[in-house]
Amino acid sequence: MAARQDKRVLCIDIDAKGDLAGALGSPPVGFQPRPVQPGVHVLQLIPEESLQEYLQIYYKVPRFARMTPLARVFDFVATGVPGAREMLVIGKIAFEEKRRERDGTPAWDLIIVDAAATGHFLPQIRAARAMLDLVKGGMIRSQVEWIDAILSDPQRTLLTVCALPEEMPVVEALELSEKARRETRIRVGACFLNRTIPVVLTPRQRRVLESMGAPEHVDALSERFGGDVGAVVQGARLSQRLHDNGAAHAKRLRAGIGAPVVEVPLQVEARPGLATTRAVASALMRGEASLS
Amino acid sequence: MSAAAEQPLDLAARLAEREVVVCAGSGGVGKTTISAALGVAMVAEQDRRVLVLTVDPARRLATALGLESVGSEPSRVPAAQLKKALGAAPKGELVCAMLDQKSTWDRLVARLSPDRATADRIYRNPFYQGISEAFVGSHEYMAMEALYELHTQREYDTLIIDTPPSRNALDFLEAPTRLNDFVGARLLAWLAAPTRMGFRAMGFAAGPFMRMADRLLGTDVLEDLSSFVRDLQLLYGGVQKQAREVYRLLRAPATGFVVVTTLEPAPFAEAEFFCSKLHEFSMPLRALVVNRVLPDALREREAVAAAAALADASSAARILGEELGEKVTADTPKRIAEAFTLLSRLAERDTRQVARLARLGRVPLARLPLVDHDISDLEGLSLMAAGLRGRATV
Repeated sequence: MAARQDKRVLCIDIDAKGDLAGALGSPPVGFQPRPVQPGVHVLQLIPEESLQEYLQIYYKVPRFARMTPLARVFDFVATGVPGAREMLVIGKIAFEEKRRERDGTPAWDLIIVDAAATGHFLPQIRAARAMLDLVKGGMIRSQVEWIDAILSDPQRTLLTVCALPEEMPVVEALELSEKARRETRIRVGACFLNRTIPVVLTPRQRRVLESMGAPEHVDALSERFGGDVGAVVQGARLSQRLHDNGAAHAKRLRAGIGAPVVEVPLQVEARPGLATTRAVASALMRGEASLS
Repeated sequence: MSAAAEQPLDLAARLAEREVVVCAGSGGVGKTTISAALGVAMVAEQDRRVLVLTVDPARRLATALGLESVGSEPSRVPAAQLKKALGAAPKGELVCAMLDQKSTWDRLVARLSPDRATADRIYRNPFYQGISEAFVGSHEYMAMEALYELHTQREYDTLIIDTPPSRNALDFLEAPTRLNDFVGARLLAWLAAPTRMGFRAMGFAAGPFMRMADRLLGTDVLEDLSSFVRDLQLLYGGVQKQAREVYRLLRAPATGFVVVTTLEPAPFAEAEFFCSKLHEFSMPLRALVVNRVLPDALREREAVAAAAALADASSAARILGEELGEKVTADTPKRIAEAFTLLSRLAERDTRQVARLARLGRVPLARLPLVDHDISDLEGLSLMAAGLRGRATV
């Protein structure tokens, strides 16, 4: 959607098992940004690669040193030191945010990060703080400080929370936004409530639906419409009950999240991929997604 | 109908013979609810003591199971409540527990440390607190660790383990070896060595690594880390032995994996991958549960034809009005058709996956219908349990 508005967009996939590239119609990508659609680049964030790049840029450690004991020990440090692996993830994102073209303009207008699942995400965001507590000296500290500054600036970084209109995802979204507020300095900018049922019948239309399914009408209607009207009634009822159940969760989400909630209608595409992504982007641009 | 689905459907009776039942699958497919429902289904007709270990149940479900918070004691579901929900007295006993990652880590350290002093040193080390979160797959490993502990205690006839939500359902299969690799890695010995000689005595002239590590992290951090690594290595023998035993348990005839999926393309693809990996790891897939299946009627030609007529014919509102004897606005039949068609198209999309069910494995399969509300009480679990016992499927 941003790229359709001529923005240069970088999408970053944090989860090694994510398929952000696939959602943008591309085969899997690597650690370096790769163009996948006009105006859209994608990279797959790999902490080990991030460490190599970091060591190369700041300490001039050649990349061929990756198999040496030195690199392996750093791998261990990255795994064992609280927040180190997370810092490599966040650090790479911050590095891309600071990336400039030769003329000094930012390389990206917008960086979108497909973050890890809820449970893993907060440690990543908290990593900079944890690192500042742990590392009192050394060169890393000043680097951590500028990363922390980027994350804490709502002009530069916003958290968008994604949920489904079901009990558990809504609870998790509320908990995530609450914890983000309490334990980090990142601002919650918006919440996307995905796969809402877009067809809502009015009370009057629902009364008609119930009358259609009544035993005294359903057979006659089936004959007049040349098909199984009873099955249509059952399907329409089910969709409305799903809508109502989802709406109750959406209400709870809106009341508690403290940020605008954007409802994204359910898309029925044969398989996840570019078609689904385009359909969601179009729905967002047409304003079908409702802001509440 | 797939070959898999032609098998008898009482999953609960078949699985109740197992000592360990691992429910696995992609996040968001209803694993936790199905684990609990499987427990209810087993004790309904089997005189067995069943423990369901959940990872992160929705709050209302947790309350229904008597679980108030992480760390709370295993809770027996009162027989009277089960009787009310099932409509008959249960023959077995159902106990529920919630995985407590932190205390499971602590118990692991206590059990594998050569002495109390080592365990205390590990608990006090600043890296210990972080590693239980930072260690990749920690949650998954702890689920396996808890399974191992419970199985060793032999207090229950059947353990049902709900695996952690994960985008990679394989994480927990690989967890035992990952901790083994981590603790046993030769590089740890290398990192531990400097402390024995004394960091400061070395003066950091020992090589580029120490100089760089010092520039990056500072000396104190390295000393803490080195001491932690040394203590961890004392656990290595125990970790290695335990990893072997966990794998043996997961491959044992007394163990059964139940793969849970929906028919949505992404979770289904993950279930396919997972089933193939179970085969590769020689771990026994015993059953498949397909959750949230849409009614077949949504795909039937007669229904689709009626919806098309309702949506298309300009006379649909008039016909409805005549038949129902009331005024029907022009957009009403169209909207009703749209409400139906949305789910009909979803059902149509799912047929692609239905056709591939047989390839997941020739094992019993239960299809549980999509319900229009959250399952958050014993009554809801009992209905789902009936589906798992082959009493109510779509």
